[in-house]
Amino acid sequence: MDMLLEALFSILTLKGLVTILCGVTAGLFIGALPGLTATMALAVLLPFTFTMSPLQGLIALGAVYMGAIYGGAFTAILINTPGTPSSIATTFDGYPMARQGRAYEALAAATIASVVGGIIGVTFLLLLAPPLARLAVVFGPAEMFWVALLGLTLVASLSSGSLLKGLLGGCIGMLLSTVGVSPIGGETRFIFGIPALQGGIELIVALIGLFVIPELISMAAQGRGALPESGKLQGGAGSAIMRMGRHIFGKPVNLIRSCIIGQLIAIIPGAGGNVTSLVAYNEARRFSKDPSSFGKGNVDGVIASESSNNVMVAGSMVPLLTLGIPGAPPDAIILGVLLMHGLRPGLDLFTETGVLTNGFILSMGFASMFLLPVGLLGGRLIHRVVVKTPFYFLLPSIAMVTILGTYALRNSMTDVFIMLLLGSVGYFLRLIGIQAAPIVLGMILGVIAEKGYVQTMLTAVVDPVPWLRLFANPLSIVLACLVALSVATTLLPGWLERSGRMAKVDPDEEKPS
Amino acid sequence: MTLRLNTDFAAGLFGLLFAAILWFPREGMGRLSIIFPRAILVIMVALSLALIVKAFIKPAARQVEIEGDPRRLVIMIVVLFAWWYAIGVLGFLVATAIVFFGLTWYLAHIEGPVPVRRLAQWAPIVAVLIGAFYLAFTEVLSVRLPSGIWS
Repeated sequence: MDMLLEALFSILTLKGLVTILCGVTAGLFIGALPGLTATMALAVLLPFTFTMSPLQGLIALGAVYMGAIYGGAFTAILINTPGTPSSIATTFDGYPMARQGRAYEALAAATIASVVGGIIGVTFLLLLAPPLARLAVVFGPAEMFWVALLGLTLVASLSSGSLLKGLLGGCIGMLLSTVGVSPIGGETRFIFGIPALQGGIELIVALIGLFVIPELISMAAQGRGALPESGKLQGGAGSAIMRMGRHIFGKPVNLIRSCIIGQLIAIIPGAGGNVTSLVAYNEARRFSKDPSSFGKGNVDGVIASESSNNVMVAGSMVPLLTLGIPGAPPDAIILGVLLMHGLRPGLDLFTETGVLTNGFILSMGFASMFLLPVGLLGGRLIHRVVVKTPFYFLLPSIAMVTILGTYALRNSMTDVFIMLLLGSVGYFLRLIGIQAAPIVLGMILGVIAEKGYVQTMLTAVVDPVPWLRLFANPLSIVLACLVALSVATTLLPGWLERSGRMAKVDPDEEKPS
Repeated sequence: MTLRLNTDFAAGLFGLLFAAILWFPREGMGRLSIIFPRAILVIMVALSLALIVKAFIKPAARQVEIEGDPRRLVIMIVVLFAWWYAIGVLGFLVATAIVFFGLTWYLAHIEGPVPVRRLAQWAPIVAVLIGAFYLAFTEVLSVRLPSGIWS
């Protein structure tokens, strides 16, 4: 407790608070640019922390991380472009809300959910880090395989009307994730003699291509901007914030459930924040009284996505600070900073250097609170820019940033070509009912599923029936049952409707694009 | 524009074509590398065949709606690829300046004729926009952007 108080006083200085404010603002703007991820934001700002004290450096990085994850929501809502992969699910309802003239409501909901998510994540981290860390190490290859399969059951809710087309999209994504060097065998796959493909297809490249390019093509064809005239802010900003605050705290179950999902997934190393928002979105939809409104502008979808991905920021620090295992890619950079300052993850971090560690954790809590003023002001500014800018300037600007962001990932023009190709094909796939979301989900989870499956088969090479190793321990069995349950709950309503045992709810149901 | 197209059949056919492209190149791949993609390919072929069968028994939609002008749609796709090609040849700065300005003019043209005076007014705005992003990426983020024939 003494260490916690000492840590609190050490960050409650002008220098500490200014560092948090600058970090959150920088992270927010970098996160809002398509292609520039939270990992990149941290990597870019890393050299600036070399001249700072260890605590100030960690405060800056924590604030940038928090701001970047939240910043992804801005473009997700305003131009249907997830700034970071963790905000994919925000586009599903955020952009339809913006198109209906409720952009500021969506931004306010995203901000409040992010603030609450961030604070809850920090509280979890302070109170539950050691026991949760023990849970993280029991996830072996077989469990990771089941986690990936559990995630893949999301395809059902991400597919547009047709489950078959959704599953086909998931398969396309999983196959795209296998391009390049095999993670276990080490051989190159499906590169067709093109050396540049050896590094595989980057998730961000596919994400930008599949989400941004079809939108740009559509905007050009229709001769419109990202938001129509009705997309302008209606009513006062203050009233939108109050309305969203009342909605979120009036029915807090969605928020609480999403935060718990975010925390549980965040501690599993390798799952990462990309999955948390998708799982939380799916559960929000599944438990909703009006699931058909999801994908058409239901604010609960935005709340689920944004609260869970901001819980993930602090949540992924649990395995990092206790076991030295980065829960998500940006954590690897923070691990590097810890090691650079001679801080070794483990119990010592909470005892010998407790002031520093607690200071870092608390600073993330403050960074979450700073999201409120910075986010609401920044949101209004970016919203105004998107609405006021004529579409003939907006469209080339988005295209330019998209090309720059994609190129900057690996300094590769091949990546830009892949992005454009996937985007153009993605536009036509969307027309025939294969949406971008299941493809991206397949890409994220395909890598995890393959590693888990092949590693399990390798360890079971002497077993008489190798695949039984997938059910070798209680946690695997529980996860396998959850997969079966998830599939059943997805397929059962449709089967009951078809057999006439349940009334059809919404025959024209349209799911997120 | 409305196109007559059985979307189930089109999706199934696309799935089969995609699977065929990835089915054949397997030279030099060991069991550990091929086991997972091969399993997914088998599932994909099954799903594609199911969609083709469904297309004849119970098709989902027999037409697709392309919103807006299809000619502008094709032009936009061509411009994006031309932009990519031009960056490799002329470098980021020159290629982007040309394509950005041209695309802005083309899109503004939708709302009516664009006078030369208006084009001249846009020039400094476009220059500042491109310059700001160029400097941000090269100087702040230390990204070496392609310089094409000027390198």
